[in-house]
Amino acid sequence: MKQLADRTLRWRSITESRLFFPTVAFLLVLLFDFLFIPGFFTIENRDGNLYGSLIDILRNGSTVSLLAIGMTLVIATGGVDLSVGAVMAIAASVAGILMNPSALRNEVFFVTDPTYTFQPLWVVIGAALLVALICGLWNGVLVAYMKIQPMVATLVLMTAGRGIAQLITNGLRVQITYRPFAYIGQGWFILPFSLYIVAFVLLVTWLLTRKTAIGMFIESVGINFRSSYFSGIQESKVKLMAYTFCGFCAGIAGLVACSNVKTSDANNTGLFIELDAILAVVIGGTSMSGGRFSLLASVIGALVMQAVTQSMYAIGVQSYALPAVKSVVVIIVILLFSEQVRGLFLGIGAKKKEV
Amino acid sequence: MLSRASNFISKNRRFIPQAATAVLAFVAYGMGFIYFEGMRNPQVFLNLFRNTSFILISAVGMTFVILSKGIDLSVSGVVVLTTVVSAALLRAGWNPWAVILLVLAIGMILGAIMGSFIVYLKVQPFIATLAGMWFARGMCFFISDNAINIDNRVFRILGQTKILIPGLKELADLQGTPAPYISIPVVVGFIVLLIGIYLAHYTRFGRTVYAIGGDEQSARLMGLPVNRTLMLVYTLNGFCSALAGLSFCLFVSSGHGLYAPGFEMDVIASVVIGGTLLTGGTGYVAGTFFGVMVLAITQALIQFIGTLSSWWTKIVIGVLMLVFIGVQAVLANRKIGDKALDARAVRRRRQKLAFGFGAAAVLVLLAIAVVPGLRGNSYNGQGETTACELEPFRKDEAARLIAEGAVIAYHRLAGPACINEMYVIYPDGRIQKDDGINTTETKIAPTEVENLLKTITEDYGWYTNEIRDTYHVPCRQCFAHYVIVAYEGQEKGVTAVDGGVNMPPGYGFTLAVIRAVLPDGQ
Amino acid sequence: MSTMNDYILTMEGIFKAFPGVQALDNVDFGLKKGEIHCLVGENGAGKSTLIKVLTGVERPDAGQIILDGVEIHPRSPQHSQTLGISTVYQEINLCTNLSVAENVLIGREPRKFGRIDWSAMNVQAANLLKRLLDIDIDVTQPLDMYTVAIQQMVAIARALDIASTKILILDEPTSSLDANETQQLFKVMRKLRAEGVGIIFITHFMSQVYEISDRITVLRNGKLVGAFETASLPRVELIAKMIGRSLDELDDMSSIKLESSKHIKAEAVLDAQKVGRAGSIKPFDLQLRAGEVVGLAGLLGSGRTETARVLFGVDKPDTGHIEFDGATITDHGPLGSIKRGVALCPEDRKAEGIVDDLTVRENIVLAIQANKGWFSHVGIQEQYEIANRYIEMLNIATPTADQPVKNLSGGNQQKVILARWLATHPQVLILDEPTRGIDVGTKAEIQKLVLELADEGMACLFISSELEEVLRTSHRIAVLREREKVAEFSGEVDEHVIMHTIAGSEL
Repeated sequence: MKQLADRTLRWRSITESRLFFPTVAFLLVLLFDFLFIPGFFTIENRDGNLYGSLIDILRNGSTVSLLAIGMTLVIATGGVDLSVGAVMAIAASVAGILMNPSALRNEVFFVTDPTYTFQPLWVVIGAALLVALICGLWNGVLVAYMKIQPMVATLVLMTAGRGIAQLITNGLRVQITYRPFAYIGQGWFILPFSLYIVAFVLLVTWLLTRKTAIGMFIESVGINFRSSYFSGIQESKVKLMAYTFCGFCAGIAGLVACSNVKTSDANNTGLFIELDAILAVVIGGTSMSGGRFSLLASVIGALVMQAVTQSMYAIGVQSYALPAVKSVVVIIVILLFSEQVRGLFLGIGAKKKEV
Repeated sequence: MLSRASNFISKNRRFIPQAATAVLAFVAYGMGFIYFEGMRNPQVFLNLFRNTSFILISAVGMTFVILSKGIDLSVSGVVVLTTVVSAALLRAGWNPWAVILLVLAIGMILGAIMGSFIVYLKVQPFIATLAGMWFARGMCFFISDNAINIDNRVFRILGQTKILIPGLKELADLQGTPAPYISIPVVVGFIVLLIGIYLAHYTRFGRTVYAIGGDEQSARLMGLPVNRTLMLVYTLNGFCSALAGLSFCLFVSSGHGLYAPGFEMDVIASVVIGGTLLTGGTGYVAGTFFGVMVLAITQALIQFIGTLSSWWTKIVIGVLMLVFIGVQAVLANRKIGDKALDARAVRRRRQKLAFGFGAAAVLVLLAIAVVPGLRGNSYNGQGETTACELEPFRKDEAARLIAEGAVIAYHRLAGPACINEMYVIYPDGRIQKDDGINTTETKIAPTEVENLLKTITEDYGWYTNEIRDTYHVPCRQCFAHYVIVAYEGQEKGVTAVDGGVNMPPGYGFTLAVIRAVLPDGQ
Repeated sequence: MSTMNDYILTMEGIFKAFPGVQALDNVDFGLKKGEIHCLVGENGAGKSTLIKVLTGVERPDAGQIILDGVEIHPRSPQHSQTLGISTVYQEINLCTNLSVAENVLIGREPRKFGRIDWSAMNVQAANLLKRLLDIDIDVTQPLDMYTVAIQQMVAIARALDIASTKILILDEPTSSLDANETQQLFKVMRKLRAEGVGIIFITHFMSQVYEISDRITVLRNGKLVGAFETASLPRVELIAKMIGRSLDELDDMSSIKLESSKHIKAEAVLDAQKVGRAGSIKPFDLQLRAGEVVGLAGLLGSGRTETARVLFGVDKPDTGHIEFDGATITDHGPLGSIKRGVALCPEDRKAEGIVDDLTVRENIVLAIQANKGWFSHVGIQEQYEIANRYIEMLNIATPTADQPVKNLSGGNQQKVILARWLATHPQVLILDEPTRGIDVGTKAEIQKLVLELADEGMACLFISSELEEVLRTSHRIAVLREREKVAEFSGEVDEHVIMHTIAGSEL
């Protein structure tokens, strides 16, 4: 009898864990790949670096993963940040211009020297991230202090942000040829370099949220901001921090993205990617009304999205048709997370009532 | 007198946001009217409506959605799906009227499906309609990867019929200029607007929408059919999106899944700028009309200013949205820990709204006016690589030549050699070149001219919205162009610079075929 | 047709239980035609549950409801409306963005050729308001331009107009009204009574109960205390029935109290001087001393919670100032209070207390952590230590410290909140209804705990609607009545004196 109870308890602790659902989803996609796509799982070893479809998933999913990490914190406070794509574009623009400012002088100056850069690398990266941070700060002030609805507040930067990015590059696409910068998105050290960036950011964020009080405060504010207020938590500061950090992550993602394509393109960098990021967080089990979150689950969610994308490409679906597939994924996720359907599966009883 | 005026204002306090938008639209247009000669052309005014009729149609439907405290991101998806389905079915030989009915039905069905997700499965509107958008866009590519052209008599008539305005026609005839006209979609847009106003104010459906936006819980307790109304709202919006899609389709004469990116943002921005709160329950459909007008006038102003590229439109619209939203939010602020908000305090705060709006609107307009002046000069600030001393485009001369019988006038500036050349092509095959110093003439076969015109208009869709002005100050490598083409009673002039991110591909192809027949081959 | 003494509504043997608490225990209720009947009782007495059962929001576990001779089973508020039971709640359930006329008539607007006839609607609404309630306002203006009093009138008008109303339920309608507006409401109520409508009037204002009602039904802790003719029930007796204690009860509390009263310091830790807040609490003086328990006695709505909120800093005072250890407080607010060592265990534990998705452990350490700031993390080991310590101390029924708080019963949730504040080792502890929803045994434990804490040097403010609790636990009692502090008693004091003070009547 006790053994059964123990096993049930352990089973429940697995199924109720935040990581359960996204991991299962990921495994399902991999299963699909295993059955229908020959050679999907092969990993080549070329000069000590690993290549293969699986590696591609990790690599191509790194921008969404980075966004998902920042977005998780924002969604956990009960908000959302629609401007992350635009912030990516802004960060990319800043970086591009600082390496190759010819666009500002209205020249299309083709740089052929891969060691040429207008400003040293640390200035380029630092300035881009600083600008991204400021964008996040802007969003945070609008939401936390002016009490504008998050969707509305971030919509503003989403609309105007690309315009700002174009302003920075003067409407031109900036070529990036500086090799150390290109390493960010294209470098390989056994595994793609961007993976290390994701891992690093994940680690730092995890430390920041779980080894300090910040994680608990975010969850508390997202679940019940009034109770949090009565307990002495300053909701405004917490939200400001979340949005600022999300902007920062978007900045990193922007650098990775533009170094990947070696272009700083204000129009296309991060186009529509905010929706992928939000979905990654939702798959990762964070409720859109705020509360408990798990960074790792969100990253897995991002990888699920990427795996779906990659698998679709591998079986010949055109890139333009991808949105349709994504929408099906969204619908499935919605259905699985909806109260009614969940109740059927996990036997969750009715909520307790209060007098 | 003064007291009667203040009485009037306080009685109609709730119309202040819409009034502010209307004033903004008038003032902005007025400024353009004063500064730019081109904007005094009545056709430019009418083009405001022609270029935005599809936005207006969709925005009317979106107003209802936002009034009910929801949001619908799927509109751009439904629009492009409509264009692709229409194009594909027409190509397959379907009856155009059947096609129209079918796509409207599809729009309504998609809207109803999303509505049921939102109402019965309790999915957040944001996510449900986002999925809808992706799904619709994706479906386009199951039908066709490439753009499908529309070559159907009924559609052509619907899209290209010019409806002349009685008074203005006589005026124009006197002046010898082409008569100003609007198109059928414009009329449809106005009809939809009027129907929308009627629905919102004279039907139980409309009033229930307002009630739901005010307080959904209360609306339920008051016995109103909340679920049914919400389903209707999203279905109605699906219909409007499809209708907007048809209008768009007539405009561009083709269908493709990549069209209209960011359309939903334009629509939402129009509704918000038109005074409807995203928090629901407040706003007027008429206000949305002015919101669309503000959008249209902003686009027009930026085109006319010329030195700013079209992405400034996005910035201005973003700023305007922020102003409208931000002021409202600050004034409706609620402090945590308070158990209730005094109704009178809220009213007092809203009174400050009027001043906030006015001041902000004035600031924005000043910015539009002042900034180009600053911006224009800084292009040459960096020293060595100055752009050429640009002559203005010889637009008037080109227009005159077209009126006198030419079919293509092509003016080319800048480039490494800082040239300034105008080519004029006549239907009989003559090509005149005028580089400011000499005039030379060459001749090609008239059939070549005919083919050229056909290619430009039919293959590259010259008279569509896809080929639009995109202008930035050229660098040494690139050329600035002004091309005006006259064919089958239509004329359209486009300014652009090659290089840069915004030049539409169709335009590039057009330039290529024109250059191919020119004497220098350049 | 029938005589005015007929009963239009009888509820018999109503039982209703929620997980962990019996909200209604064999309650009977009778309402006559053409009668204004007050339903009174403190928090948790069961008033709102009874109304929910009557209006169809909840189904009773047992019992009958008979309306006008016919047994009914209301399924929902809309259904009960069609049966003839109209309800106007304290939170106006109208859409304030719509106009007055619309709020009255929406869903039933007059139409002409299928479109809404606005002029007819405006005229109809104006006439309705004039006829039913004798008020004359511009019905075309949006509802939120009017005061809450007018909004209530509109709600009543709508309720009355929809179906032939047999019963009108008014749930705390006068909380946001001033004296004139209340009189206006009473005029309307009398008019309706004359027309044969039965009115259930729920209020906590004693004076109003006596001014307007014909009969009173008292509930206490889910049980029916009785139904009485207003004219033959003196105020102090009513209060005794609501909150009074059974007279013959001896315990060892008094000896603990006597002992600890020796340790009370003379200087005040928290000193409120002429502190008041408009619309909330009239200016008062109150001193809290280390080692002393001050009790706040008074009925619901007398300003007890408002006093607590002002002292803790959630509400800023409009007048006067508060001194802590002699220094005037300038940074009002929860965080400032916590840093100083002032703690508030709030009344509304669901909205202001628990963070329901977080675990017991996290809830307990929340305030300590907030005090330490973002980066000074309370280590996981230490968190478990603290949590387990208080779980044991307060006997919190939970399998582990990692249980989400929402899974606990109401009483245990209350203990978790209490633990949170105790864990901050405050110098001043304000407890607002700390024993609500807790079983009798644990109530006594908590009362004892409060005295022990005082003995260790804490200054406590103990607020409860159960007078016996206040008496047992407090060294000094401040009495509030209708948002004003009216008296203060120290030492041994007779329960009757306090009840008379609360009632405002002579001994």
